[in-house]
Amino acid sequence: MAEIRIKNLHKEFGVGEDKVVALEDVNLDITGHSFVSIVGPSGCGKSTLLNILTGIETPTSGTVAITSDGHVAAPGYVFQAARLLPWRTVTDNLMFVQEDRSEDTRKRCQRYLEMVQLGDKGTKFPGELSGGMQQRVGIARAFSIEPDVLFMDEPFSHLDAITARALRRELHHMWDETKKMVVFVTHDVGEAVELSNRILVFAKGGRLEDDIQIDLPFPRDPADDEVAVAKAHVLRKFEELDLLAS
Amino acid sequence: MTTTEPTAPPIETPPADRVTEEELARKARRAELTSRWFWRILSYIAVLAIWEFALLDIFSFLRGSPLDPKLLPGPSEVVATFFEIWGEGTMPAAFQATLTRIAVGFGLSFLIGAMIGILMQSKWFEGFFKDAVLISLSAPGLIWVLITAIIFGNRPLGPAIAIILTTFALVTVNVSEGIKALPKDLLDMAKSFQVSVFKRNRQIVIPHLAPYLFTGLRFGFSIAWKVTVLTEVFSSSEGIGFEMRISAVLFDMSEFLTWILAFFFFALFLEKVVLEAIERRYFRWRQAVTAT
Repeated sequence: MAEIRIKNLHKEFGVGEDKVVALEDVNLDITGHSFVSIVGPSGCGKSTLLNILTGIETPTSGTVAITSDGHVAAPGYVFQAARLLPWRTVTDNLMFVQEDRSEDTRKRCQRYLEMVQLGDKGTKFPGELSGGMQQRVGIARAFSIEPDVLFMDEPFSHLDAITARALRRELHHMWDETKKMVVFVTHDVGEAVELSNRILVFAKGGRLEDDIQIDLPFPRDPADDEVAVAKAHVLRKFEELDLLAS
Repeated sequence: MTTTEPTAPPIETPPADRVTEEELARKARRAELTSRWFWRILSYIAVLAIWEFALLDIFSFLRGSPLDPKLLPGPSEVVATFFEIWGEGTMPAAFQATLTRIAVGFGLSFLIGAMIGILMQSKWFEGFFKDAVLISLSAPGLIWVLITAIIFGNRPLGPAIAIILTTFALVTVNVSEGIKALPKDLLDMAKSFQVSVFKRNRQIVIPHLAPYLFTGLRFGFSIAWKVTVLTEVFSSSEGIGFEMRISAVLFDMSEFLTWILAFFFFALFLEKVVLEAIERRYFRWRQAVTAT
């Protein structure tokens, strides 16, 4: 079972007068098959936290440990933009992040492409696909390494509402099926409530302000009363913390 | 009250012989290509016709006195001379000499240029090389050709140095630009997926730099050609430039133009066949992007 332990995490950018605090003394534990959303206004350190968790950036101080059954966990990352290699075909983009090029691995990649309904697009170049399809390739790539933890940084924010909705459903289905841990960054409270069983609210300056459990059954319909109530509850927290104004 | 359900309109199924969008696009592309080639060929025919039938009279009129037809042979005569020289076997030897010089000179220039491009990522080396690159880019190749001809005479090093001095900067500028534009987002992505540094370089850095290197290669090569022929005109005893000099000294315009023609055809062959084939093979993904 995957586990994330963050202790006294602090991150600053720049020096002297230009110094910006991105994360301030964050302490956090996430365990098991959870879907955790990180919400907050722009510049509250959401993406920085994911970049530190995936090793793209290093913390100024504090520790981060991501383990799975006592071993170092393998992370998968879905970015805001798909970030595909334009000179590689869809299949090769998935193969790029694999440890080996065996036939089994190839089959696994194909299986995940089929899961995002792009099974017949393996030989296409990213430039030949629509934005939504590219994003789905990005999701398949992250799933294809069968990660212990899946990090997602506003993966649907560039997409139109209909595509985003369909992808949210697909994502939830895949999370349910694979029993992975998902850490999902978004600025859309509705999206967070629809998908997650835990919402972490960050404020400007990178402080973790609130930790909200959402114990509603899946799948959740945004039009459902209970979901609307939960969303209102989170938004009220935002108001209390004066996050809406910022 | 009873309401009758409006009957749904029958769903239109496309007829079997309906032209698909893809076919239409293909037809449009073909028409575009045909028209482009038509105008291209027409320009050749027009130039050759004027040259064959009217150029001598035009020049005579402009000079104010009749021009000796020997000094301006028409294309038919030039083509005849071309086959004559081809039959003698001088042409392959001259091409071999010139091409060897280009291969050595430009090969070295490419390596040196790329190396300086990489070094120029450091602030200090950028300061060190910046003006040298600028001078190489702006100085006419003829300067280096004359200097190396004076210093090295007809030693093989002369043309090589002239080529390096005129072309290295083109490679440097392209490599440097390519490195500056390295896709950080893709490199970060690879890092987050724990892809090895070797694989990151091979699958992200090199494919990203390839178009930049190719542009450097293409432009550098076209200049290397001209510089090589020039060095041969001044200081060599073999090669295309040397043959041109001999025919110019002998006032044999027909032979002189034949060498220009051979040179032109070879350059066209390299550009249209070799370089475009490389481009099609290695930059297929770019065509895929532009096609959408």
